[in-house]
Amino acid sequence: MTRAFDIAVVGGGIVGLAVARGLAGRGLGVAILDEGDVARRASRGNFALVWVQSKGLGMARYGAWTTGSAALWPGFAAALRAETGQDVSLAQPGGYSLCLSEEELDRRRAAMMRMHNQPGWEPIPWEVQDHDRIARAMPGLGRDVVGGVFCPLDGHVNSLRLFRALHASALARGATYLPDHPVRDIAPLPGGGFRITTAQGEIEAGRIVLAAGLGNAALAPMVGLTAPVRPQRGQVLVTERTAPFLPHPVATLRQTDEGSVMIGDSKEENPVDEAVGPGVLAAMARRAARMFPVLGGLNIVRSWGALRVMSRDGFPVYDESETAPGAFLVTCHSGVTLAAAHSEVLAPMIAGGGLEDSVAAFSARRFDVPSAA
Amino acid sequence: MKRLSDVASLREGYDLAIIGAGPAGMAAAATAGGRGLSVLLLDENPGLGGQVHRGVEASPLAAVPALANVPGAGRALAQAAARAEVEFLPGATVWHLDAARRIGVSAGGAARMVVARRVIIATGALERPMPIPGWTLPGVMSVGAAQTLLKAQGLVPEGRVVMAGSGPLLWLYAAQLVAAGHPPALLLDTTPRANWRAALPHLWDFLRSPYAAKGAGLLARVRRGVRVVSGVASLAIRAAPGGLEVAWPGGTARADRVLLHQGVVPQTNLAQAAGCELAWDKAQACFVPRTDGWGETNLPGIAIAGDTAGIAGAEAAEASGHVAALAALHALGALDGAARDAAAAPHQAARARWRRGRAFLDALYLPAPGFRVAPDEAIACRCEEVTGAALREAVRLGATGPNQAKAFLRCGMGPCQGRMCMLTVVETIVAARGVAPGTIKPLRIRPPVKPVTLAEIAAMDSTEAERAAVEGR
Repeated sequence: MTRAFDIAVVGGGIVGLAVARGLAGRGLGVAILDEGDVARRASRGNFALVWVQSKGLGMARYGAWTTGSAALWPGFAAALRAETGQDVSLAQPGGYSLCLSEEELDRRRAAMMRMHNQPGWEPIPWEVQDHDRIARAMPGLGRDVVGGVFCPLDGHVNSLRLFRALHASALARGATYLPDHPVRDIAPLPGGGFRITTAQGEIEAGRIVLAAGLGNAALAPMVGLTAPVRPQRGQVLVTERTAPFLPHPVATLRQTDEGSVMIGDSKEENPVDEAVGPGVLAAMARRAARMFPVLGGLNIVRSWGALRVMSRDGFPVYDESETAPGAFLVTCHSGVTLAAAHSEVLAPMIAGGGLEDSVAAFSARRFDVPSAA
Repeated sequence: MKRLSDVASLREGYDLAIIGAGPAGMAAAATAGGRGLSVLLLDENPGLGGQVHRGVEASPLAAVPALANVPGAGRALAQAAARAEVEFLPGATVWHLDAARRIGVSAGGAARMVVARRVIIATGALERPMPIPGWTLPGVMSVGAAQTLLKAQGLVPEGRVVMAGSGPLLWLYAAQLVAAGHPPALLLDTTPRANWRAALPHLWDFLRSPYAAKGAGLLARVRRGVRVVSGVASLAIRAAPGGLEVAWPGGTARADRVLLHQGVVPQTNLAQAAGCELAWDKAQACFVPRTDGWGETNLPGIAIAGDTAGIAGAEAAEASGHVAALAALHALGALDGAARDAAAAPHQAARARWRRGRAFLDALYLPAPGFRVAPDEAIACRCEEVTGAALREAVRLGATGPNQAKAFLRCGMGPCQGRMCMLTVVETIVAARGVAPGTIKPLRIRPPVKPVTLAEIAAMDSTEAERAAVEGR
């Protein structure tokens, strides 16, 4: 027998769950179609920053969207806690990008200036700080750090607890989670709605949201959309737990609420898999130990590689199908930072009349414009 | 054998690297040495022997007449390995292995990456966890750990000792305690009586195997000196004033020490991290790497020998170590096919002889599901203190296997990297979901398989492209 839902969300990662939770909260019958225990899940490998300072060079609207989501985060975290009992350990004490040479610092400063000089930019607070100033805020700072950029809006969460809390919240709001249901085909039905063929039979839904990360590339054309996303590998090292010593998250390393230190700053194009490479890990480890020498003596207990979901310009894609009304696409690589906006702003749009002008800039139609010579 | 003292004395590359110096690794080294190839043997321990032949080169038990034979069993093999023309780095932690056969090895606080044309993984076995209520209380330890103290330090547990569980090692260690003059006060045998029906068809093969004589003597020696309660169907341990209390249907007993054991399972973390495929073995209720008759895995150039490829015991491990080494010699051009086959034949026959008796032991000593699944109040993952109840809650949230459960609960993320808890987690999820065990994939394991310091990782080389992936922003 075919099961029918008001709306089906394809993808059970942080992006899909945040949207599904928001939809379920609007009284819709939501199905979350997910892969199984072993899948390429960026949501299990991410770095857990709620990050503002570097977002938006090339698209001013993305900066404002990110800043808006960061501002929604405290209320979002409180709601998750009330609904699920899970504390996602949100902390937004401000964060740093640290530079290990004057040249790096100059590049960083120039990028920040270019970003802020864009037309339509909504200003955010930030400043370049020198070594001594940062060392006062971050004892243990290595002498090789010449300076960095501080933004008081930056923060981080416990992203695994966020992942679990989103599952629990979506279920508590009445969503149906269907693991081991990879989607094989989507057919728009003549009278509206969609027939979705999964590995475990067919499901019908009035509307559909594609939030399948890299899987969106293959799914989007089935409903008249395009999702130009590619995998970019990032690797992460995690230390054993240690006493709290890092009061602020750094773009490439942070101490979790549980005491371990995560280190991750590789960007590898054309990855063949999610494997870790010792050479990349070594380069990451060297930079981390220069930033905070105390890290050198800590044990590394885990490492992993995960695939970022990168669009052609690195910004999110939110779209609504013209040829198959009721089909939506949601994809981005900053699913943690944007979780609050996806759940509290984007999902209500999808549940209501459709995507609004405020997110029109994120349509994949931006890629159709021939680039200026 | 050339014994190395640090990673600085390692070459950059070897023709063959053997990881683990237990019976399989020692046999592989003995066979592979002296053929003009560069061979490296690595082990965590200070000497040869592995777990089963721990202390084979120097043992505190040598001076104890009743136990002098304990380290003796592996002596001939250890001497053969010691005579072989190979390099041996003891005290070495192997924390990385990948499909390109790069081996990350640490010793004395320094790390190196070496490359091998062929690798034989011989990381042996570890004890199957026994997640009963109270199994993590102070004063409770595994029989394997207790036996390590006996072999390495000559220590026996003091006070009133209660042993509980099943399997050959339980009886072997009990017999060793009897011989040492410190018999346990009580042995609770959890072997399910119903297992006899499954075991009987294999009885004839068992009786013809060398295991039979060995086993019968053991059981008799223990039963003469120790109170044994058979058919124990459930167990719980509680803290009691001044010690512990063990409870089972029909009785309770006071104890100062409780020693648990219910068999051993392959130690597959390194193989998994490299990318070797595993499959569920129903007879042994554990994941076993897929290997062929030569020990070859799905990864070219990486073979597995000994109990890591499926529990078969020390003697079979030794035979499979010879076989895997002969296959490596052939692949490296040091031996033609006919010579390989001729040399392998006696070892293959020996392996078959020992394996014949194994099916009976597997069937008889398969622990009951109640001892393999964590009850609500018992801890499944010790590193992150995840209980059976928490695992069932994760299943309710939609976790279908250990990887999603790990994301929800952190089980398998601690320093042991899932070595201890994976089977318990998988079997608890399987039971909660009511699915067949073979349908669930194991935890994905990534390096470092064993903890290594950030400074040691920082000392590894990076290519220009690898540096650019991190710094090029």
